Amino acid sequence: MFEEPSDPDTHLELDQFVARTSRPVRRAALGSRSQAGLWALRVAAIVLGAMVIYTFVYQLAN
Amino acid sequence: MSDDGAHDVAVALPRTPLTHEDLDRSNDRLRVYNARRGGRRWFLVWLLIGPGILAMLGENDGPSMISYTATGATYGLGAFVPFTLLTFAMAAVCQEMCMRVGAVTHRGYGQLVIQRFGPLWGWFAAGDLILTNLVTLVAEFVAIRVGLRYFHVGAAASAALGVALVATTMSGGRYWRWERAVLALAVFNGLFLVAALLTHPRAGTVGHALLTASPFPGGSLRTLLLLVASTIGATVTPWMIFFQQSASADKGMTPADLRHGRYDTVVGACLAALFGIGAMVAGAALYPHGGGNLNGLSGLGFPGALRALDGHTVGTVFALGLIEAGAVAVLTISASTGYAVSECIGAPHSMNNSVRGAAVFYGANLLAALVAAAVILIPGAPLLSISLNANVLATVLLPVSLVFLLMLANDRELMGPWVNGRRRNVVAIAIVAVVSAAGGAYALVSFLQTVHLL
Repeated sequence: MFEEPSDPDTHLELDQFVARTSRPVRRAALGSRSQAGLWALRVAAIVLGAMVIYTFVYQLAN
Repeated sequence: MSDDGAHDVAVALPRTPLTHEDLDRSNDRLRVYNARRGGRRWFLVWLLIGPGILAMLGENDGPSMISYTATGATYGLGAFVPFTLLTFAMAAVCQEMCMRVGAVTHRGYGQLVIQRFGPLWGWFAAGDLILTNLVTLVAEFVAIRVGLRYFHVGAAASAALGVALVATTMSGGRYWRWERAVLALAVFNGLFLVAALLTHPRAGTVGHALLTASPFPGGSLRTLLLLVASTIGATVTPWMIFFQQSASADKGMTPADLRHGRYDTVVGACLAALFGIGAMVAGAALYPHGGGNLNGLSGLGFPGALRALDGHTVGTVFALGLIEAGAVAVLTISASTGYAVSECIGAPHSMNNSVRGAAVFYGANLLAALVAAAVILIPGAPLLSISLNANVLATVLLPVSLVFLLMLANDRELMGPWVNGRRRNVVAIAIVAVVSAAGGAYALVSFLQTVHLL
């Protein structure tokens, strides 16, 4: 169990303040295999999404 | 969480000035702290529930409830009762990860994806979300319109009421108030269970379907794939991922609240499954009376058909249920659009902020609702087709969101000791595979049939 401070001015964790959450986190270092996998995922999502939209539009037109 | 992955709590005020958002969140945390210290267990549960139940009942939205009812009316109960339970179990696994990442990092999903994996991926995920959200929001307004039509309210008034609801609930400048208002509305999702009971279902039929998963629906491969894809799309969607992570962070949840966050998510999943099956049972009452030929969105739709079969009360209850389902989803889905857009451009994104202080967040929230409301007013707009395809499109685009969620939940630098365990990863990867296969197979088969290659 995490003990939280009782001071009414400090009920947030340090990294919960807007000033902290506005600071960006470090960019992840992805390996080449992860990069390739993510690109494959992106291409697949675009192609499949286009197929669904095409089918939808075709059904409307006919 | 500190930069080195260790959990730290505030022991002194930060040097930077406190914002209005910090103070509101701090007040909410004080109540949680006092409830925990005072051993008031049920009050603590009351304080910490919210994002999970809202995500789950928000996804029991207009098109989902119409889809469940249409499934019951077309095929009876059969395999869909256990399949629906399975999909909600899948949703609970995914949403628990969202809650955990939000509570540990205190950042929204869009914000983390853009910062951790770069703007291209962040905008890809947000673009995917905005597209599916707009299509889904149109379907929500359609559901509100069908429900209100039962009470002789016109399309323009239905659209205006939906937009007014969004504007009213977000004007409080306080996450807690917004969450409680939407939770109060979401309770009425239980009307689908009441409607089911009013159709006097035989307990043996529901029990038989649950235990034997039969009869299995017949029909073409495309129809079967559409049913599977749309049922998955009715339970796990990209907006839920954005919403629950951002809402958990906005609520101020911390790693100390993970157990209650899990209760919230699981209770939400159980309620949503129960009410979803309720809609299916109500629809199954129409099955022996040619329910498969009904168009749930035209004329008086399913409420009118149920009234003709079982009387005015069940029709009224079902129509009210549809209004609730559409209204809660309009609120949660437009909120997820607001979170996604403002997180990706780095603008303030909290319900604890004033409208002036988070203009992009509130503006995107309202604009999404306005655009969707405008679509249902276009004469001859293909509303039925939009409603049916909304869930399928969400399923096809879902794997992208799930893969990033999985990567964030396994990111030790962000999550420290709260990363996914081995078993959780196995289950989550299996879910990504099932969702990808269902969405991909439907997209491929329907496309090949459309271009006459199958």
